[in-house]
Amino acid sequence: MRGFAAAPQPVEDADHGGSSGGSSMIEKKGITLRGVPLYLDMQATTPMDPRVIDAMLPFMTEQFGNPHSRTHLYGWESEEAVEDARAKIARLIGADPKEIIFTSGATESNNTAIKGVAMYYKDKKRHVITTQTEHKCVLDSCRWLQQRGWDVTYLPVRPDGMLDMSVLEAAIRPDTALVSVMAVNNEIGVVQPISEIGALCRSKGVFFHTDGAQAVGKLPLDVNASKIDLLSLSGHKIYGPKGVGALYVRRRPRVRMEPLMSGGGQERGLRSGTVPTPLVVGLGAACEVAARDMQSDLAHVRRLEERLRTGITSQLQGVMLNGPSDLALRYPGNLNLSFAYVEGESLIMGLKEIAVSSGSACTSASLEPSYVLRALGVEEELAHTSIRYGMGRFTTDAEVDRAIDMTVSHVNKLREMSPLWEMVQEGVDIKSIQWAQH
Amino acid sequence: MAAANEARTLFRALLREGKRFPNYNLRDFIQRRAKESFRESAGVTDPSAVQSLLKRGREELELVKRQSTVYGLYGRKFKNVLELDLKFKPNTPAASSA
Ligand SMILES: Cc1ncc(COP(=O)(O)O)c(C=O)c1O
Repeated sequence: MRGFAAAPQPVEDADHGGSSGGSSMIEKKGITLRGVPLYLDMQATTPMDPRVIDAMLPFMTEQFGNPHSRTHLYGWESEEAVEDARAKIARLIGADPKEIIFTSGATESNNTAIKGVAMYYKDKKRHVITTQTEHKCVLDSCRWLQQRGWDVTYLPVRPDGMLDMSVLEAAIRPDTALVSVMAVNNEIGVVQPISEIGALCRSKGVFFHTDGAQAVGKLPLDVNASKIDLLSLSGHKIYGPKGVGALYVRRRPRVRMEPLMSGGGQERGLRSGTVPTPLVVGLGAACEVAARDMQSDLAHVRRLEERLRTGITSQLQGVMLNGPSDLALRYPGNLNLSFAYVEGESLIMGLKEIAVSSGSACTSASLEPSYVLRALGVEEELAHTSIRYGMGRFTTDAEVDRAIDMTVSHVNKLREMSPLWEMVQEGVDIKSIQWAQH
Repeated sequence: MAAANEARTLFRALLREGKRFPNYNLRDFIQRRAKESFRESAGVTDPSAVQSLLKRGREELELVKRQSTVYGLYGRKFKNVLELDLKFKPNTPAASSA
């Protein structure tokens, strides 16, 4: 948008801490920023859609009733809103509203699905299968089971992040209770073959759980077409509120599970606790909007991804894509690139005007590279320089163009200072050098 | 046709309100989405479908106005770096323009 980006509107002088330049500086964590960074981290979280906020506000003001109150208007109107939201979530994933349970987010949904199913069937089935690239909350729930005597298989994935169906098939045993494979990976955007996994699991009589936090509302997904038995989703990944999510639990064939929460028996006894009406209404609105805008959103992020990827790779050498290059196998709103011959931490520091994530946990003391990239076999050096660009419904062309400019100029600047890069330019094969020390 | 006139009026009002939205990303989104919706609905002739599209258009215009107020009250006092940097020139100017 020329009118907004190339020739911005005059900047209003901030009413606090204004400085001479007409704009004020933001200081946080020892870093000084001229303005608010561009947000390209949509896998971490998304802003709420104004249509979501609009739906929530009545339930944050006068319609505050407890949806479980049976004796007055306050309860009735809240209950009606909660059931309306439940129906909207069900519609987005092709489920029946009775199969939707509200939770506090995908972390709780994943914990409930994995631990709940494993515990219910523990007398006959003591084996669970997942992959090495799942979200921490899935891996940790499996770890929890392992510490209590279950067997867990953590399947490797191919270098592009895809799960090999033959590897999965070989891992299924007569005592396997559950297979848990995420639909879309949060770091590299790889889309797993959910329908094939569902069909295989159904044929073997094994329940199939998928963590759909990064997939629901962004890609078409149908629990019946894909034979999914349990599905986790999260509000804040789909332009809804934080602190709310849902778990789909199939009724036919029936999936049984033990609840993790004891209490008033809300949500069919599977998740006790007062349902948070405003959050649930927000989640419902987010799902309704996602269903309506899905094609438009997808076309938008596809266009932006192409612009970003070609913008960077046409100007820089030594850029590696983490994840599948085939866009049928990757959610385009997620572009994860590694830059050879630069230092990861310096790169992230140089990009402080764009909010992106890095594959290197350089803010923590450990300096451990991402376990997802490690599972793909990405070299440590490259894992440290990986940047995840996350685009979505509200990302603009101008933001992508700015991200290209910033990335290209900082990578070039860092490489100019790098003796390794100089050698590469002179034609020395770095890999052939015998390093004295590692 | 009265419906076509109302659709055009709604479209222009949405663009106008969208331009005033206090948030940079939403200003851009509202323009883009309004144009897409308007284009998509251009081929709709079924009277009841036209009426429901108009109803949605009216509701969305009111929603944009309400949320514009909410963002005006609770939005950031700091601007996005893109809006601040007058020197910034995109590689290739963004295609669409209001
Ligand atoms: C794939 C995946 N699963 C689970 C989660 C956790 O979701 P929540 O923040 O709703 O607990 C996230 C987000 O961090 C995610 O990306």
